[in-house]
Amino acid sequence: MKITFPHLGNAYLGVKALFDGLGIDYVIPPFSNKTALEIGSLHSPEDMCLPFKINLGNYIQSIEKGADTVIITGSCGPCRFGEYCELQMNILRSLGYEVDFIVIDAPKEIGINTLLQRIGKVGSSSTKNRYGKLKAVRDGLKVIHMIDAFEAKVRDLSGYEINKGECKNLLNSCKKDLLKCSAPSEMIELIKRNEQKLLQIAIDKHSTPLKIAIIGEIYTIIEPFSNLYIEDKLMDFGVSTSRKLTPSWWIKDMVLKPLGLNSMDIKRASKDYLSINIGGHCRECVAEAVLAEEAGYDGAIQIFPLGCMPEIVAKAILPTISKEKDIPIMSLVVDEMTGEAGFVTRLEAFIDLLERRRQNVLSRN
Amino acid sequence: MYYLGIDVGSVSTDIVLVDENMHIKEAVYTRTKGRPIKAIQEGLKSFKSKYTKNEIYAAGTTGSGRQIAAMVLGADATKNEITAHAVAALQNDKDVRTIMEIGGQDSKIIILRDGIVTDFAMNTVCAAGTGSFLDRQAERLEIPIEDFGDYALKSTTSLRIAGRCAVFAESDMIHKQQLGYDSSDIINGLCEALVRNYLNNVGKGKDIKSKIFFQGGVAANIGMKAAFERALQCEVCVPEHYNMMGAIGAAILAKEAVMKSGKTNFKGFDLIQNEFISRSFECADCPNNCEVAKLEENGFVIGCFGDRCGKWGGKLVVNA
Repeated sequence: MKITFPHLGNAYLGVKALFDGLGIDYVIPPFSNKTALEIGSLHSPEDMCLPFKINLGNYIQSIEKGADTVIITGSCGPCRFGEYCELQMNILRSLGYEVDFIVIDAPKEIGINTLLQRIGKVGSSSTKNRYGKLKAVRDGLKVIHMIDAFEAKVRDLSGYEINKGECKNLLNSCKKDLLKCSAPSEMIELIKRNEQKLLQIAIDKHSTPLKIAIIGEIYTIIEPFSNLYIEDKLMDFGVSTSRKLTPSWWIKDMVLKPLGLNSMDIKRASKDYLSINIGGHCRECVAEAVLAEEAGYDGAIQIFPLGCMPEIVAKAILPTISKEKDIPIMSLVVDEMTGEAGFVTRLEAFIDLLERRRQNVLSRN
Repeated sequence: MYYLGIDVGSVSTDIVLVDENMHIKEAVYTRTKGRPIKAIQEGLKSFKSKYTKNEIYAAGTTGSGRQIAAMVLGADATKNEITAHAVAALQNDKDVRTIMEIGGQDSKIIILRDGIVTDFAMNTVCAAGTGSFLDRQAERLEIPIEDFGDYALKSTTSLRIAGRCAVFAESDMIHKQQLGYDSSDIINGLCEALVRNYLNNVGKGKDIKSKIFFQGGVAANIGMKAAFERALQCEVCVPEHYNMMGAIGAAILAKEAVMKSGKTNFKGFDLIQNEFISRSFECADCPNNCEVAKLEENGFVIGCFGDRCGKWGGKLVVNA
């Protein structure tokens, strides 16, 4: 069994640690790129949302590299994502790829027994004993938590750095080196070393960089290729960014959901604007806009793929929040275009707007 | 002492030269035709005999081709269109509170309060609410785009044409043509469809207050101005240099930049004879496979764009 999975931000690092620990063979798909998008859109329904197409490209590129089993997370959820696994299975089979699918879904949807059985399928090809398996899971979780936290720190600090580009280089080299590690323990050590290096970066504590929250549809804000590397661009502009949704946030949310203890802050913050869950991550998006204002951010950027239902609802709510809370919010729609000129124009204009607001009486500072 | 401003848009490249009081001395409008460098060189041809390098105190660029233009020109300010349009409109009238700008590929709305941009929006993935849509339909009707507005004003009956998507609008329009409706009614319908689309898409949720400026190439169309006034039920002003506002803004921003820095980077008008070659290639050093564009001036690399890691684009810093 040679397992593969779709890309989602740093998720591949956690998965790498997990499978290295379990001793299971796997293929990390080539980083999402134009080729993946081209393959994906060739075989996807035209109207489908962008994440679906990139996913499919990831699978096919991995299968070409020898993968025979695809692990995906399901969500019998109330947006198109709920159909992803079935549709993707169908498409891959009709293309003649003989691959196995393991769909990991919430126990509430498929029953705890089915879930355990599916997880067991993965575990059965591991030679490790029960303790070894548990350790691998723990290490996998640890790696994804550490790298997500590290990245968040870097993105926040980059606005304060004195020598431009240091933060970005550190983050890139850290991720590059992580891929070369062969054991989870090495990865954990490496992240720790990079955390130390981050402390060495010269920062100007008195500078007041713009702070922007990245909100919106979970896939397109996490997977950098799909949003034309917006966070890196903002780093180049000297803006500090933060993004609440990460693979590690998603795991925590999934685990706490059955207990009803997940996302307490989100439920509170969205209460006045959207009190029910309408699917996707609409409620998260609305709440994050409110939370961004509470945390003193200068603005928020919402990103979502063309035709994303939950985010369209959020987009309709955001102007009210923007007005009532006095925080500028810009919505960006991403699709198959890879031309960056228009995208950068919008970003620059938004940054200009935030800067001029600060210099003016309208500023909250 | 003059200030040069260039707006390299998708459809047109606009070049202005303004004096210290921001009065326009020269205004050149050329079609970009997908070759921004050539358009700049063409546009600047007439300047060379009239002005010397030393007379140009500052140069600025804007528009979707602003980066490449900045490299070719040696620009002091390179700013996005939103800021450039807002700056130019405010120069014209301090009380402007809404700017509607419709260009070839982009349409934008800019909301200002007390002379500060407080909100803006641009069209998302579709270009249905932009000038290229009207251009295309004018071609189909075989009516010069310049006459479009006059036709629209002659309309007596309001004809509804679907505006959501350029493709839908086109088939809707053809069906009505086939039924024998009057051309001026159809053209008026198209203007109204565009206005509806603009207000529903770009203008959605925005607080449109007068004084309203309508600028960009499409503002030449008096039918559009009239359709906006009907939809908004208030007066819409088209400034005198409506199609040069971006370039004027770039010139003003360049002036501000040079006042700070003290000297201009402008290379001079000799650039119109220089040979600029841009090549694109796919970098294969990592799975990102960035498409990199490399720009050469007389055989020397003056800049690269499009790479993610800075390996190529980083060279720009050395040469600038």
